[in-house]
Amino acid sequence: MSVLAIGRTRARTRTVSRQARKRRWIGLLFLSPALLLYGVIVLVPLLQTVNYSFYKWDGVSEPTWVGLRNYLEFGRDPRMYAAFGHVLVLILMFGLIPLGLGLISAALLSRAKIRGEGIYRWFLFLPQVLTSVVVAIIWKRIYAPDGPLNSILRGIGLGHLTRNWLGDFTWALPSLGMIGVWGGFGFTMVLFLAGILAIPDELYEAARLDGSTRWQEFWLITLPSLRGQMAIALTLTITGALRTFDMVYITTQGGPGTATTTPALLLYQLAFVNPDVGRASATGVVLAVLCLGIAVGITRIMESKDR
Amino acid sequence: MISRFERVSNYVIVIALTVGVLFPVAWFVLTSLSPNTSGALDFSNIAWSNFSAAWHDGNLAHSMYASLVITVSAVVGQTVLAIMSGYAFGVLGVVGERFLFPVILLGMMVSTEVIVIPLYYEFQRIGLTNSWLGLVIIQLGMGVPFGTYWMRATFRSLPRSVMDSAAVDGAGVWSTLWRILVPMARPAVLTLVLLSFMWTWNDFFLSLIFLGDPDKQTATVALGAFQGRHVLQVNLMAAGSLIVSLPVVALYLFFQREFISGVMAGAVKE
Repeated sequence: MSVLAIGRTRARTRTVSRQARKRRWIGLLFLSPALLLYGVIVLVPLLQTVNYSFYKWDGVSEPTWVGLRNYLEFGRDPRMYAAFGHVLVLILMFGLIPLGLGLISAALLSRAKIRGEGIYRWFLFLPQVLTSVVVAIIWKRIYAPDGPLNSILRGIGLGHLTRNWLGDFTWALPSLGMIGVWGGFGFTMVLFLAGILAIPDELYEAARLDGSTRWQEFWLITLPSLRGQMAIALTLTITGALRTFDMVYITTQGGPGTATTTPALLLYQLAFVNPDVGRASATGVVLAVLCLGIAVGITRIMESKDR
Repeated sequence: MISRFERVSNYVIVIALTVGVLFPVAWFVLTSLSPNTSGALDFSNIAWSNFSAAWHDGNLAHSMYASLVITVSAVVGQTVLAIMSGYAFGVLGVVGERFLFPVILLGMMVSTEVIVIPLYYEFQRIGLTNSWLGLVIIQLGMGVPFGTYWMRATFRSLPRSVMDSAAVDGAGVWSTLWRILVPMARPAVLTLVLLSFMWTWNDFFLSLIFLGDPDKQTATVALGAFQGRHVLQVNLMAAGSLIVSLPVVALYLFFQREFISGVMAGAVKE
C-alpha cells in the first residue's frame, strides 16, 4: 500500500470520528430537555430529602439541625416499629403468595393448550389496570359488615365467622393483604406463562427420555428457567408492599388503632398532615434504601444461581 | 400425551381463578345498578340513574376534566421527551453516555415517596402547588427514566441500514427521527402512550398531595373524597368508581395485547 493511500484512509477515519463526535453532541442536545426535567424533578429532590432528614422542621418555621436524631428515634417510635412490621405481612401476601400461586397455575396450564386463553388472560390481568382507588373501594365494600363476604359466610352456615373485616384488630391487616393476592397473582401467572413458552421443548423431551417425573421436570427445568421472571415479580411486589399507600388510605386510614399503618402512610402524615418534615424525610430515605437493597439483593441471588 | 383428566382439570383451575378475580368486580358492577343505597343487590328495577347521580354529586364532570387535561398533557410530553432521549442514546450517541445513562436508569428505582417531600415544599414556595401545570411537570420528570429506557431499546432494534440510507439521501438527524424512525417504531410508541396514560390517570398519591384544592382535584382524588362522604350510599359510590375507571378500562379493552406486553416489559418501573 502506498504512503499516499494510508494517508487517505487516516484522513477518512479522522473525519468519520469527527462526525461521530459531532453526532454525540447533537445527541446531548436531543437529550437535554428530558435530562433537565429529570434533574429538577428527581435528582435534586433526592438529595434534598437526605438533607431534610438531618433537620427538625415543621414545614413553616426555621429548621434546626439535629444530625442523625431522626434516624436514631426510629427504634424508639412504636408507630415506626408497627409500620415496618406490617410490611412483613404485606410482603408475604403481596409477594410470596401470588408468586407461588402464579407459578403453580402457570406450570399446570402450560402443559395443555387452553381454548380461549386470551380471554382468561384478559380477565386475570384486569386488576393491574384498574385504578388503585377503585380497587380499594371495591374491597372496602366486599369486606363491609353487611357486604358480600359476610353474606356468603352466613349463606353457607358459617355465620359465626362474620365480622367487620377491616375494623378488626386481628383481621384488618390480612384482609388488606388478600387484596394484594387478588391483584397480584394474575400478573405473576401471565408473566410466568410467557416465560414457560420461551423454554425450548427439547429440554422437556430430553428430561422425559431420561424418565423424569413431572415433579422433577418442574423443579429441574421450569423453575430454573423462570428465574428472570421471578426476580422481576418479586422486586415489583415486594417494593409495592413496602410502599402501600392508596389501599390503606382509602380503606382503613391505618386503623383500627395502628393495626394497618404502613411506612408510606406515616410518611404522608408526617410530611403533610402534622408536619415533622425531618422525620418524614428520614422515613423516605429508609424506605428508598430498603427498596434499593431488595431490588439489588434479589437480582444478585437470581444471578448467582446462574453460575 | 396429555390426559383427558389433565385437560379437564386445567379448565377447572383457569375458570376458578378467573371467577375469583372477577367476582369482586362483578358484584361491584351489580351494586352500581341497584336502587338499594345500602349496597344490597336488587334487580327488580335497574337504577341507571345511579350513574348520573354520582356524576353530579361527586362533581365528576369537573374532576374528570382535570384528569383528562393532566393526563393528556403528561402523555404527550412524556412521549416526545422519550422519543428524543431514546434517539439520543440509541442512535446518535451522547457525550458522557457512560455516566448519564446509568444516572437516568437510577430513576426507575427511585420511588415517589422519596422525592415528594422536597418537591412539595419547593413547589409551594414558587406557587406550583394546586396547579395542574405543577403536577404535569412532575409527571414529565418522573416519566423520563422509563421512557428513555423504552425508546432507546426500540430504536436500537431498528435496522441501521435504514438510518444510513436516510443520511445518504440527505435527511438530517431531526427529519430522520420524525419522518423515518418514529413511523417505524409505531407499536412501541403506542405501548408507551398506553402505559403512561394508565399510570398518570390512575395516580392518586401525587394528586392528593399537590392538588389540595377541591376545585383542582383529579378524578381519583375526587372519588376518594366522594366515597368518604357517601358511606351510606354504596350504589352511588360504585357507579362513581366505574365512571372514573372507564377511560383506562376502555383503552385496555381495545389494546389488551399491547397493554399486557407493555406492563410486563415495563415491569422494571414502579
